[in-house]
Amino acid sequence: MAFITIAPPAQPGSADAPLSGPRKVSRPTTAPAAERGPMRSPSLRLGSVRPGSLRTVPSHILLIALALVSIFPIYWMFVTAFRPPSDALSTNPLPGPLSLENFQYVLKTIPIAGMLANTFGMALTLAVSQLLVAILASYGFARWDFVGKKALYLLFVGSWLVPFQVTMIPNYLLVSQMGLLNTITGVVIPQLCSAFAVMMLRQHLEAFPKDLLDASQMDGRSSWRTLWEVVVPNLRPALAALGIMLFISAWNEYLWPSLIMQKSDALIQVGIRGFLGAEGNNWGAIMAASSLACLPIFLIYIFLQRYVVDAFVRSGLK
Amino acid sequence: MFIETAGPATGIAPAGPAGLPANRRPKRRALSPYLYILPAVVLLLVWTYWPLGQTVNLSFTDWNLIPTKPKQYVDVQKYAKVLSLPELHQALINTGLYILAFLGISVALPLVFALLSRKVQGKARTAYQALIFVPFLITPVASSAIWRWLFAPEGGTIPAIAAALGAPMGNIFRDPDSSMTAVIVIVGWQMLGFGVLVVSAGLAGISPDYAAAASIDGASGRQITWRIIIPLLSPSLVFLSLMTILLSAQWTYPIIDLATQGGPGNSSTNIYYLLYQFGFRNFDAGLSSAAGTLFFLGFGLIALVFVELSERLSFYDN
Repeated sequence: MAFITIAPPAQPGSADAPLSGPRKVSRPTTAPAAERGPMRSPSLRLGSVRPGSLRTVPSHILLIALALVSIFPIYWMFVTAFRPPSDALSTNPLPGPLSLENFQYVLKTIPIAGMLANTFGMALTLAVSQLLVAILASYGFARWDFVGKKALYLLFVGSWLVPFQVTMIPNYLLVSQMGLLNTITGVVIPQLCSAFAVMMLRQHLEAFPKDLLDASQMDGRSSWRTLWEVVVPNLRPALAALGIMLFISAWNEYLWPSLIMQKSDALIQVGIRGFLGAEGNNWGAIMAASSLACLPIFLIYIFLQRYVVDAFVRSGLK
Repeated sequence: MFIETAGPATGIAPAGPAGLPANRRPKRRALSPYLYILPAVVLLLVWTYWPLGQTVNLSFTDWNLIPTKPKQYVDVQKYAKVLSLPELHQALINTGLYILAFLGISVALPLVFALLSRKVQGKARTAYQALIFVPFLITPVASSAIWRWLFAPEGGTIPAIAAALGAPMGNIFRDPDSSMTAVIVIVGWQMLGFGVLVVSAGLAGISPDYAAAASIDGASGRQITWRIIIPLLSPSLVFLSLMTILLSAQWTYPIIDLATQGGPGNSSTNIYYLLYQFGFRNFDAGLSSAAGTLFFLGFGLIALVFVELSERLSFYDN
């Protein structure tokens, strides 16, 4: 239960906030607008040292080394993928000569475009449904006090302690009884609710300005209309960050698709696994397929980097 | 905290434009939180808690997952068997080693990196963090493929460098002495940047006033780090450690499955991979469920102890 509540404070004011215990952390957010700038560096305040001064040189060196370790394997994947197959074993650290042969080979050998489209649809469905279920549940938890609230919330917190591997056999049997083995529906169904998303959103909603809810009620809105006309529009940045994160997690999910899709290669995680096994040492083709499998995530990251980092760092979850 | 909205609302209702009969409102309100929470709770019960009960149930049976074959009730026989299996002992030891390795890679190292690099601020910092975070987003099929290529005995970058340094290496994935290292390198590569970002975010939330005040009082840089910064960081550190302990086995699962299949000779397996092998390779539902039940109880106990400890050890800034 300590998971979310200790999430690193990203707001300038929160250093002075009462972090008095995992349960009752109330972030002093006054308006959701304060949520808007994910991961901005509020730590400028720490900077009594001017950037560029000599004292930061060792820090730069350290960070450059760390960045190189992080990026080199990915760089190498692209370099190998874009080389002609005959040059796959080249040790030249620079890219080139450029060739698309590996990609052509992958496209010819496996229906990777279809896999990508299927996986995209699966991840999008999951992200949207998890968001929807979480919006409803967190609103219910944050807005009212009711009998059994604590016990019901404990169901969500407690689900953290149930590793998926422990329940995979009954889940598999249930999906199999529904006749959904080797279908994307079978992959999606057990994951429609993310307890984690409920907990994240509840935190945001607890910090939602009460005055707005009061005002909305005085205007005669029902709780349902308040949710969609007042709460959701104001939470847009938080919802976007969470949605992106859920999408990426769904895309990268491996265990469940690999169990359910044993006889189908409709999803990228499973489809490519077979290809990698069959290609052995054909590293150019393997790297081309791998880079295609990461492509959507890279695109999201390039355009929405701040949201992505913010969502994951706050949550600390995959 | 939103209950108060009920107060003014009832007073206003009769005159309000909603025009609902006053006696209907409280009733609706009493039901509505449950309705909002219903979808999430139902999904959670169907796909997490009911299967958990099923797993416990299956752990007392002998069954090979074939629907037409009846389950046989065998008392605690499966528990006795699983506890005596050398595979289980190996998997438990490995899981412990993985946890230790990741406590180093995703908690201790990030702490060092974040402390040493905190002087770098502004755009440079954002750029480094953006790069360091990328491995965390790589899909498991791709990350295992990339590192299999980097470690490839023929043409792989790392063996080439090792050979140039006069320390030739074989196939790291096929050697029982190094297969675990391979898994740790791959997963550690993914988790390191995540840890650095979480710790940095924690650091950014610490008010510089404390360090400034201590510095005026004559505290040295080292004293400030150990006596002020690290205690104030403890919520982030506790959070990361708990994640690491509870989730290491899940983080390593896809890479084990993709890169080593737990081998050679169970040298790189972990407890969750063992559950998979018992259930979906040996088709022994009882054995897998018995082990799963034990792991669930074990991790539950660890989590409770940890939450209790963190309440006592964490140092809050209030």
